[in-house]
Amino acid sequence: MKIEENILNDVSRVSLEGRFDADTCDTVEAFIRERIEKGRSQFVLNMENVPFISSAGLRVVIIIARELRNEYQGDLHISALQPTVNKVFEISGLNNVLRIFDDAEDATLGFSK
Amino acid sequence: MQQSYNFPADTAVLAKIGELVANAGRSAGFDDIEIGDIQLALDEVCTNTIIHGLKSDHSKKFQLVIQWNQGEIEILIHESGEPFDPMDLDDPNLENLLEGPSAGGLGLYFLRELMDEADFRIGRDGVKTWRIVKRKA
Repeated sequence: MKIEENILNDVSRVSLEGRFDADTCDTVEAFIRERIEKGRSQFVLNMENVPFISSAGLRVVIIIARELRNEYQGDLHISALQPTVNKVFEISGLNNVLRIFDDAEDATLGFSK
Repeated sequence: MQQSYNFPADTAVLAKIGELVANAGRSAGFDDIEIGDIQLALDEVCTNTIIHGLKSDHSKKFQLVIQWNQGEIEILIHESGEPFDPMDLDDPNLENLLEGPSAGGLGLYFLRELMDEADFRIGRDGVKTWRIVKRKA
């Protein structure tokens, strides 16, 4: 799993590349958690280059989003889901409780609206 | 067609297993979305097997058997680790995922939603077997 961060207007855009599964979920969680501890509370998780997500990856998304909302008045926006990954968000119902955007630009701008 | 493999109880093998079942799914005539369903279901079973059944002990192995005909794929996963019945897990509360106490149970839920058949048995020899089947709609 390759992870990159860009900060735009105080929003941390975290771009993932690779499978988001039980083998990589801890790496993603630790990466974001490290930035939360440094004071960041607004995140975009850009999944343009994620071809696969399992329940282990979804669990990290759920835990981080819950923590940001409940403890830091922040949020986790999701962007650029590939069709098979989008289907996983839909059948889990996460598309109803998270803000999901077509691309990372819109997901970043979504924090100022 | 049938293929059989032995893998160590290491989550690093999940990507390879995903590739193998995608190739089999394509040979059986499934489209990309259906292959995604099969990959997710198998990933959930293998993750469960590696982490809960075999405690991520890399010296232990599990067996994966993939067999398919046109329009149908059947996958068997055999392991003989710790006693664990995944069917004991409750379904997740999908209405309240961000507020509930845990996000557990999603894997088994996916399995039931995405596959036509998903069953689990423990043999007299203690070998646990998952069997999952998908047929083309």
